Amino acid sequence: MKRMAFIFTALFALALAANAQGIAVGTAMDNFSLVGLDGKIQTLDALKGKNGSVVIFISAQCPVVKGYDPRIVEIAAEYAAKGINFIGINSNSTESLEWITSDAAKVGYKFPVLIDKGNVLADKLGATVTPEVYYLDAKNVLLYHGAIDNDRSGKAITTPYLRTAFDESLSGKKIERTRANAFGCTIKRAKAE
Amino acid sequence: MLLRFLSKGVTCAVVTLLFLNLGFAQVPQSVPSKVPIKKPAAVGPKVTQIDIEGLRALLKPKGKPLLINFWATWCDPCREEFPDLVKLDAAYRSRIDFVTVSLDDLAEIDGDVPKFLNEVKATMPAYLLKTTDDDAAIAIISKNWKGNLPLTILYNPAGGVAYERNGIIKYDTATAEIDKVLAAPAPIADKIVSLVPPSDMEY
Repeated sequence: MKRMAFIFTALFALALAANAQGIAVGTAMDNFSLVGLDGKIQTLDALKGKNGSVVIFISAQCPVVKGYDPRIVEIAAEYAAKGINFIGINSNSTESLEWITSDAAKVGYKFPVLIDKGNVLADKLGATVTPEVYYLDAKNVLLYHGAIDNDRSGKAITTPYLRTAFDESLSGKKIERTRANAFGCTIKRAKAE
Repeated sequence: MLLRFLSKGVTCAVVTLLFLNLGFAQVPQSVPSKVPIKKPAAVGPKVTQIDIEGLRALLKPKGKPLLINFWATWCDPCREEFPDLVKLDAAYRSRIDFVTVSLDDLAEIDGDVPKFLNEVKATMPAYLLKTTDDDAAIAIISKNWKGNLPLTILYNPAGGVAYERNGIIKYDTATAEIDKVLAAPAPIADKIVSLVPPSDMEY
């Protein structure tokens, strides 16, 4: 009986650890459905482009996201034309629908922004920071995960991680850098601490 | 008649001279100076700039437990937890080393960073990390971390991680962890201690 309890505990711990890590590069993300700012349910499969998609965790209040917004809008427009569609995800429990809607309009996101109520998708992917991107191919396989580039200010970008990943993938090359972290805001989860 | 004319003339000349004088006196103020005007430093503690190598050195305890907090003025939870950090500093001063590392832009090293530290009466040594490679810095700081602020790490004197908190610290938990490290016998080796998982992770 004790052995069974131990095995169960170990399996539970492993499941928790796996969940905390999110999905690994090279594995496929399950289709998901979330409510958009217009109240309609949207799915990954319906929103992705012919060459894939970018699931990007954003925030209406995070100054780092605000700093990145012009670049996000620009890169999203540039690569939408190349078949890669951006999907904005807001998982912050501290931001109201009205706030997110008004912010999206003000920034000028041309891609859909979905509300991740209860941070279900953020938990599933292991997303913790804004902005944080998951670049998926047309089959929803994760190709790149992490930061957009190496410079929050945008004044001294030397390694445009996401653009490089797009360009390498679109030209059929191996993506050299598949992970990069950067300092940012914590996703404000709904769960009580 | 002549006297009246002369008197008016003198008055006009004086007024004209005064006008010109005032006008000339203002010219230098309106011409941009070639000497760069330095932004006045905000009142507050000195904030020292460090790079990746400086960070690496900072993460090594110097004979005492080391508490290190990573924050930024643009991070709401960071500002929210700072009063508790100041309390921790007061409670454990001289028994542990406590430093803070700001991830603000370098431009704020004389601006918002010391201004905020002054507002919350923070007196622990303050640093600002300037790097073009966040990813490398994050990897040095913690293998479990993705860069979301705040992050607080407690190292034992041998350099092992005793406590790691990604999110607002809980004061009682932090004091309990610091007390544990202070009460513990000196660790034999870094690697043995490092195997102990951080007890308060939040991802």
